[in-house]
Amino acid sequence: MELTLFIIVGGIALISAALMLISENAVYSALFLILNLMCIAFLFLMLNAPFLAMVQITVYAGAIMVLFLFVIMLLGAERTLPTIQSRFRWLAPAVVIMALLFLITVSVALINGEIIQTEPRKAEPQVRVVHVLDGVASLDVYLDGEAVAQDVAFRAATDFAPWREGEYELAIFEAGADPASANPLLVQPVTIERGKAYSLTATGRIGAPGARLVVAAHTLDFSGKKDGLRLVAVNALPDRPWVDVRDEVYDEVLVGALAYGEAREFELSKGTRSVALYTTGSQRAPVSELPEQALEANTLVLWVFAEQRQPDNSFTDVVISLQDKAATSFGSPTHIGQLLFTDYVLPFELVALLLLVAMIGAIVLTHESLAPRKVIERRLANPPPGLEQSTPGETGH
Amino acid sequence: MGSSEVAVELYVLLSAVLFIMGAMGVLLRRNAILVFMSVELMLNAANLALVAFARQWASGAGHLMVFFVMTVAAAEVAVGLALIVAIFRTKKSIDIDNLHMFKG
Repeated sequence: MELTLFIIVGGIALISAALMLISENAVYSALFLILNLMCIAFLFLMLNAPFLAMVQITVYAGAIMVLFLFVIMLLGAERTLPTIQSRFRWLAPAVVIMALLFLITVSVALINGEIIQTEPRKAEPQVRVVHVLDGVASLDVYLDGEAVAQDVAFRAATDFAPWREGEYELAIFEAGADPASANPLLVQPVTIERGKAYSLTATGRIGAPGARLVVAAHTLDFSGKKDGLRLVAVNALPDRPWVDVRDEVYDEVLVGALAYGEAREFELSKGTRSVALYTTGSQRAPVSELPEQALEANTLVLWVFAEQRQPDNSFTDVVISLQDKAATSFGSPTHIGQLLFTDYVLPFELVALLLLVAMIGAIVLTHESLAPRKVIERRLANPPPGLEQSTPGETGH
Repeated sequence: MGSSEVAVELYVLLSAVLFIMGAMGVLLRRNAILVFMSVELMLNAANLALVAFARQWASGAGHLMVFFVMTVAAAEVAVGLALIVAIFRTKKSIDIDNLHMFKG
């Protein structure tokens, strides 16, 4: 279906470009070019670039082409010009034939399947660390010897950082320990794929067999329901092998039978929810509660149900809730704006300066006082009899 | 941004053909304004290739480049058309074969 649409719109673009080149009347050429620009705007829409499609229509078709039409009208340029001189007459057909040959060659190659068609890549993976490992005050996390996070305190989490995809060996050390020499507290293989955000949660009690790293993955591209959000619930309570996450108000189970060390992703619509954690199968007393959580749309939320050791060696249950803005949809004005105003401010300002200079230049170039030089008519000193001479003096401006 | 049926290669092919047509227009047409419009066609073909690759590699930088190219094209059109208007005032013609100011 998309292929059909591409072929139709692409065909219209090609035909209008050809007609633009062939047309004798400049106004017709401008109108065909406008049609071509509209087709390209449509192709931008198909390529997940809505902002650029709108800018294309507004700026290119709406401003630049209108400027062209104004100038064509002003100069009376739509009058046809005489045909190309005879010595270059072979040029036009030769170029047309070459372009057609190119098109035919590539189309044949495409149809025969000799051109490999690749799939688009997904977004870069993001990684952060959450620390609920009992018994360690703060820790360092290394992926294949490279530090992901350092000095993460208990119940704290780092920000998301972009990381390369691949398979890594994750090692957790006490904060400040040298990764080469010290013994890691935990070692685990981790696979990082594109299109996901990873929260590496260190859970359990150090020294006990249950201490482990839970890799909670959020899917990055948000194609879920409108005004929805993605949540990941992590069970980091070593004493509770199976828990349910229940919504108190609507009395429904959001996540059922979550095992210790398991992370599960689910989607909800936005709103305020009161959530409580129960042991699976019982509804007597909640293990921990999250009252009145305001959940916003288009966010990634992580709930880690963990415990914290108290001074008297008992444990209280705590919940860590982390909310992050979800990756903005690719090509949207938000995405472009984020890039433009953070990484690309300098080119943005330079181009704005360029526009200003161009405006001033256009005004200066067309200003009346710079306009036509005086056209001086030459007179013959000894005109043959009967020859018309224009009156002496200056004509023109 | 899931997968789609149209691979980036097809978009690049379309962009290449449009670029060639624009280049033909620049070389073959004698009306200065039509030469300008062919240049705009070439710029648009390049924009199309940039956006196709931006989707392919999931990079927003491609979109930004297109944004800057469009802006620069607008500035160029403004100045270029002003030039053409200024030339027309003296030469009364925009046939590019008649527009040499530098003899020889």
